Amino acid sequence: MDLKVPRTGTWVGSLMTLHLKGWSQQIQRTFSSLRTGIVLLITLGVVSAAGTFVLQRPLTEAEKLERAYAPETLRWLDRLSLTDVFHSWWFALLLAALGLNIILASLERFPVAWAYVQRRYARPDAHFLKGLTLQREIQIPDKETGLAAAERAFRQLRFKPQRVASQNGMSLFAERNRFVRLAAYLVHASLLLIFAGAIADALLGYRGYVALTPNRQTNQIELSNGKTRTLPFVVRCDDAGQENYADGSPRRWWSKLVVLDSGREVLRKEIAVNDPLVFRGVRFYQSGYGSSGDLGALRLRVVPKANPADTREIVLHPDETLALDAENSVRVAAFFPDFVIRDKQVETRSDQPNNPAIQLTVDSKKSGATKVWLFANFPEVNHADESPYRFQLRDLQMGWFTGLQVSHEPGQWAVWIGVVLMIVGLAAAFYFIHARVWAVPISDDRGRLVLWVGASASKNREEFEERFNKLVAEILDGLKAPYGSRGTVSRTSGSHHFLVNAAAALKGRS
Amino acid sequence: MAGALATTELNRRAAAQPATTGNLFLLLVGLGTALLLFTAFLSAVKTGPLFTEDNLLYAALIFYAAAAALYIGYGVTTGLRLARFATLATALGLIANTLAAGHRWYAAGHPPFSSIYEMLLSFVWTLAALTLFVERRYGVRIIGSVTLPLAMLGVILMQLLPSPVRPLVPALQSTWLHVHVTLAMLAYAACTVSVALALLFLIQDKVRTETFLAATSATLVAIYASISTRFDASGALRVVAWDPGEGREIFIAEKTPLFVMIPGLGWLMFLVLAAALVPLALCVWAQWNREERGLVWANRAFFLGTLLQGLALGAFVMRARQGFYASRQADGVFLTNLAASPFVLSGLAGGLLISLLYLLLFWRREQLEGLLPAAERLDHLTYKTIGIAFPLLTLMIAAGAYWANRTWGSYWSWDPKETWALITWMIYAGYLHMRITRGWRGRRAAYFAILGFAVVMFTFFGVTYLLPGLHAYA
Repeated sequence: MDLKVPRTGTWVGSLMTLHLKGWSQQIQRTFSSLRTGIVLLITLGVVSAAGTFVLQRPLTEAEKLERAYAPETLRWLDRLSLTDVFHSWWFALLLAALGLNIILASLERFPVAWAYVQRRYARPDAHFLKGLTLQREIQIPDKETGLAAAERAFRQLRFKPQRVASQNGMSLFAERNRFVRLAAYLVHASLLLIFAGAIADALLGYRGYVALTPNRQTNQIELSNGKTRTLPFVVRCDDAGQENYADGSPRRWWSKLVVLDSGREVLRKEIAVNDPLVFRGVRFYQSGYGSSGDLGALRLRVVPKANPADTREIVLHPDETLALDAENSVRVAAFFPDFVIRDKQVETRSDQPNNPAIQLTVDSKKSGATKVWLFANFPEVNHADESPYRFQLRDLQMGWFTGLQVSHEPGQWAVWIGVVLMIVGLAAAFYFIHARVWAVPISDDRGRLVLWVGASASKNREEFEERFNKLVAEILDGLKAPYGSRGTVSRTSGSHHFLVNAAAALKGRS
Repeated sequence: MAGALATTELNRRAAAQPATTGNLFLLLVGLGTALLLFTAFLSAVKTGPLFTEDNLLYAALIFYAAAAALYIGYGVTTGLRLARFATLATALGLIANTLAAGHRWYAAGHPPFSSIYEMLLSFVWTLAALTLFVERRYGVRIIGSVTLPLAMLGVILMQLLPSPVRPLVPALQSTWLHVHVTLAMLAYAACTVSVALALLFLIQDKVRTETFLAATSATLVAIYASISTRFDASGALRVVAWDPGEGREIFIAEKTPLFVMIPGLGWLMFLVLAAALVPLALCVWAQWNREERGLVWANRAFFLGTLLQGLALGAFVMRARQGFYASRQADGVFLTNLAASPFVLSGLAGGLLISLLYLLLFWRREQLEGLLPAAERLDHLTYKTIGIAFPLLTLMIAAGAYWANRTWGSYWSWDPKETWALITWMIYAGYLHMRITRGWRGRRAAYFAILGFAVVMFTFFGVTYLLPGLHAYA
């Protein structure tokens, strides 16, 4: 139904023929064909599906893979990269081939579409007129009256009429949404842009993890492939925390981060889940928060054995030595968050403070060092016989760490721009119609002056037909006058060819 | 001209003839609806405030059920009055559904898109709204007989699922997640409508009834084969254990749920699987030998199979609703309830639904064809709905990627759900290319649309139900 536009020949095509012989053209044709594109889509779909059925390497630990598959199977899966489909060379090759297919196909077809958009057919020739499905002839008294009535009707239907002058005289033309003809190219170009962004990220980007404890700073991040990467700046965590719902489940994690560039503080931000810190394209995401397994602080009740009345409370941090009096001082010697004795060895079962045990050292200038054990769950156990002080544990705070995902994706802007363009392109392609209408005063087969009205639409032709009939009715209304019209606007449903039939019927009658 | 006259004549006859049965049916459905609403009203008034979420949802269920019955009744009797009342019931159900969603939004303080329960709530809403839209805009009334039973099923599932308004874990507190899930539900509902239209097209395009029989049986085989992956050597069916205190499934390790065994149910599922294989095999055999009798027996076997399915669904609901069963992974007995097996339940109920729809087609094909618009129009409408679904799918994937990027710092990580969403997108992209560039119309396009929907279903159910199962080595 669409118009036949003279093929100008693609410039890529002509360039190719200058240098290469027939077989290369054949290759180009194969690569740019829709069939190749569909085959590539299907292949990509199948291998992607395979990638979801076979356990994938970076996500699953090696142990689990070895348990899941027999050694021989696993060797073959590895050899075919089926355990890491999405990072394999052949998957990249398939994506590249699809990209090439889109580029070649677009280059081949774009000039035709462009020529179509360029040549507006404002003044259609007789051949073009005959080809239109939507057309009607309306008898008019004179050219100007007809054109004026048509102009009013165009405006009524929100078409902006242009007067077009040619050697055959004046005619009217209006169109809407010409860009729709290029929408498909926009969609494909945006897909290429997304590909480009993803390639840039795969080659230049990285993803890693860093865990920070209070007041620590680092420029080292652990990458997902196990390597370490040094950032050109330093990040420090000043504070972090967790807020809970009433039922105890976590509601929010936050960290106060500071970025230091050559020792100078350049950026400070409190980050939370869904709200990262960005510095020079490197993003820090809050991804976890928890107990580090280290001791944070102790609150102790200190009772001097010689003088129990002089009892007081102290706060003791690890790596800190507190003087108790002129002669004695105390410090943390060891900490076990989940104390257990196994094979006569003291150790911790986990990093969780399930059974915290603290070993204090009391240094006395007179009698030397004494060890004191404190157990949070068993306050009555108190081995402090030789020490001049007794200790009671009042409170214990665990040290925490904040887990940060670090990522650098220089291509992501290309991806987001591509996504937006794709949405725009899809909306244009599906929800907008390129519509054109013409009104040309001509003389009909019998030599009478008529206004020829024609229209074409890029899609939704049935619905557009109703609009066209309305347009014709408006023009007839505008003319009303003594001459009236030749056709009554009646909707003969369904058939695309009713106009032809109607015209024939009218001819027979008159 | 003569053809058009004959069609109108046929329609008139079809409309005039079954008016009496139609009225009786309408009366029955109307009385049933009124009775249910009245009893529900009485108990609601007794127990407390009238407009709670549960009550509204129950009202929506009653209306949807009435609409589904009326639409199917319309399919059977072709009485236009039934269709009008079906539309009314759908609209009332939609209002109750909207109020329920609004109530939940208000109570939770965030849009209702964060759990399976809430997603179903919005899915059902979209499905009902789209049905009304397609009906009003394009005059395809009969589509309700496919979509409304689905909506009803969705609400029933919701009644069984746990629905506490739960606080959101930090990663889920994002507007982008809501946008993502809303778009997913809109896109999936559009896909559902497109597949319903494609199926109606195939009916109107004179695809033979035995082809529908074979396709329905093959789908049933797929459903029951999936369920049978939870078959235990002792003949039991393994279902996930439920922790009533926490209100969620019990996990013994990450992505490894604790399974309990319901004795005997595994065999029952196997039996239904075999029963679904019989008509399929008979169809193939009849096709091969050009033997009409084979088809007669295939339909009889299918009818029996449908009864068995009803039995299986009943047995599953009775035994998995609430009960303590042993497990192979740990000592002692553990509780399970229906909330722990949403996928099995949807599979069983969905299978029964498509079987009943097939039987409707088998018994009333001629009337159905009289009710449907012309094949070309249905074909065009399928394309139009996919034209709605595809941009929505694109937006849905983009919003999901954007959310992932804000939460984990990576917009694409090839996890199974993402990958399958992309595969869905590629299939619909293929459909559009074949249609726009190659001019594919009619059956091939309809089959493509069905393939796309099958993959949507796999993305929605299969990825969650089958893939972790495949990877669970406890």
